[in-house]
Amino acid sequence: LAKPYSCSDAMAACVVVHGGAWAIPDTLVVANVTGVQEAADKAWTVLSANGSALSAVEAAIRCLEDNPSFNAGTGAVLNEAGKVEMDAILMNGKDLKCGAVACVSGVPNPVTLARLVMEKTDHVMMVGSGAERLWDEAGFQRISNESLVTEAAKEEFQQFKKFHNTVDNLFKSQSADEMSTGSLGHETVGAVAVDNDGNVACGTSTGGITGKRVGRVGDVPIIGAGGYCDNAVGAASTTGYGESILKVTLARKALWLIEHGKSPKEAAQTALEEMHEKVGGCGGIIIVKPDGCTGIHFTTKRMPWAVCSQHGRKHGIEPEDLHQ
Amino acid sequence: DPCMAVPAIVVHGGCGLLPHDLSIRERYQRGAEKAARAGWEILTRSAAESSGSTALEAVEAAVRILEDDPKFNAGRGSSLTKDGRVEMDAAIMDGRNLKAGAVSSVSTVANPVTLARRVMEQTDYVMLVASGAERFAADAGIPVTSQEEFITDMARSKLDAALRNTGTDHDTVGAVAVDKDGNVAGATSTGGLTGKLRGRVADSPLVGSGLYADNAVGASSATGHGESIMKLTLSRLALWLVEDGRSPQEATEEVVGLMGRRVDGLGGLILIDKSGRMGINTSTECITWASFNQSDGLRSGLQNPIHSGERSCMM
Repeated sequence: LAKPYSCSDAMAACVVVHGGAWAIPDTLVVANVTGVQEAADKAWTVLSANGSALSAVEAAIRCLEDNPSFNAGTGAVLNEAGKVEMDAILMNGKDLKCGAVACVSGVPNPVTLARLVMEKTDHVMMVGSGAERLWDEAGFQRISNESLVTEAAKEEFQQFKKFHNTVDNLFKSQSADEMSTGSLGHETVGAVAVDNDGNVACGTSTGGITGKRVGRVGDVPIIGAGGYCDNAVGAASTTGYGESILKVTLARKALWLIEHGKSPKEAAQTALEEMHEKVGGCGGIIIVKPDGCTGIHFTTKRMPWAVCSQHGRKHGIEPEDLHQ
Repeated sequence: DPCMAVPAIVVHGGCGLLPHDLSIRERYQRGAEKAARAGWEILTRSAAESSGSTALEAVEAAVRILEDDPKFNAGRGSSLTKDGRVEMDAAIMDGRNLKAGAVSSVSTVANPVTLARRVMEQTDYVMLVASGAERFAADAGIPVTSQEEFITDMARSKLDAALRNTGTDHDTVGAVAVDKDGNVAGATSTGGLTGKLRGRVADSPLVGSGLYADNAVGASSATGHGESIMKLTLSRLALWLVEDGRSPQEATEEVVGLMGRRVDGLGGLILIDKSGRMGINTSTECITWASFNQSDGLRSGLQNPIHSGERSCMM
């Protein structure tokens, strides 16, 4: 393998958060940037108190799930039945332990449910009511579907129904083009972190795509696609057109490129370009390495992101912001 | 070069402990052979009879045979969940365009691999689970039946044994193939782990873990401890190693070894590259496998056929 790229400005603990790569309208920019900054700050609080990367990532994602501006937890988009159906993943780079949930409802924080799968079962992935049962067993409160539904999500669903005749489109959801270019619909949230012990972790959470068929699972809870991490390489969380991300195991691919000598930024960029070339589709990737080096790239119109480390905070949402 | 042989197919009927009973071993091996033969028949159809990817047709046909065979842990004969139900997973992937279809936690469809193919070909999605997947089956006109059809006495007694911690488990079936035109495809199907919690999904239906196929490299299908396979995205990893220059057999052995060292998991992998070279390896006692190509004809076995150190036409 090629000599690994090393960050010239190696930092210790660090967290990167993203709020989804898509064609974010101007009206939502402020809320998106504020949201990711808040989430990164929450994660940083954990890290600077010597907390684990895993807990920091969970804290950041919980914050985004609770924030109705993002398509995760509260504010999640609605499926074809008008209900919220969520997916999430959380992974630990130290031992490759992972928890993932798909098609869950009635819980406010799918990322925490994913952590229960990881820590309370011998399994990695669980779907639906089988997964939800763990929430009850942990003594957490269920919530109604309604408490997760926002006006914005309802409106987007109405728009979807207006333009997509469900009889004609019995099997198909949004046009592949729309999804592919991130021009329709909200996105995923995610975070990656490295703690003071050099352990990395990643997490991703989503409500999926508006009007999706009940039971549709995208990339988010699929290990290697929505997220992947390994203390030997780094941690990655992805966002974008789910089916494309899945077909190229995007998160694992980005880390594979780092194993072959690319910098995190180059790896994110190359992985996204290859995805577009092979299967179409746009998206975004955030990466952190055990030495604190970060990489952020996206091929959609915008992607809100925030970084916290001992060197301070950075954030952005426009492509130009990546040049910081 | 006799080693470069397309078309070719490799199938597996799962890995695990070697059954004591010789007649059981025999039945597993014959079952895998039947699947490989069915795939071969499709791969060698004349050009007039086939269009598109016969690799895709072949892997679906091979896996359907294993699903219908109650001895294998897929379709009929699937292992049971903790509460005695059948919950099946399957996936199929087309190396031409990286399209894939996957279903998980389905209970009422006789051939989950065919349902997975429909997801791939009739929707913009890759994966559907549980009742959503079954609704799609109904919408797609695929016959649904009660899950009792798939529950066998053997599965019931395996569940008893597992709950009492005394059982052995075979698992997952899969197939990989390359056709005359160099198209590759892979498919997997399973009833999952005996006694699993409801809603548990393991590697089989997950692109990159249970299977992967890419015309640029080859196709792979994994079997064994699902969670361990997932943690390494085993199928994807093996193909990257082939891209990096390993032979299929070397790549297969390397990822199986890594799985043991890194996450303490047992399992196996079959892999075929775009030239028809094969890799088959397991860290368990047993892997039921069968292969078919022009130079070697039909081959089959219950244990690792060969190691990369030994010279072979196949590997």
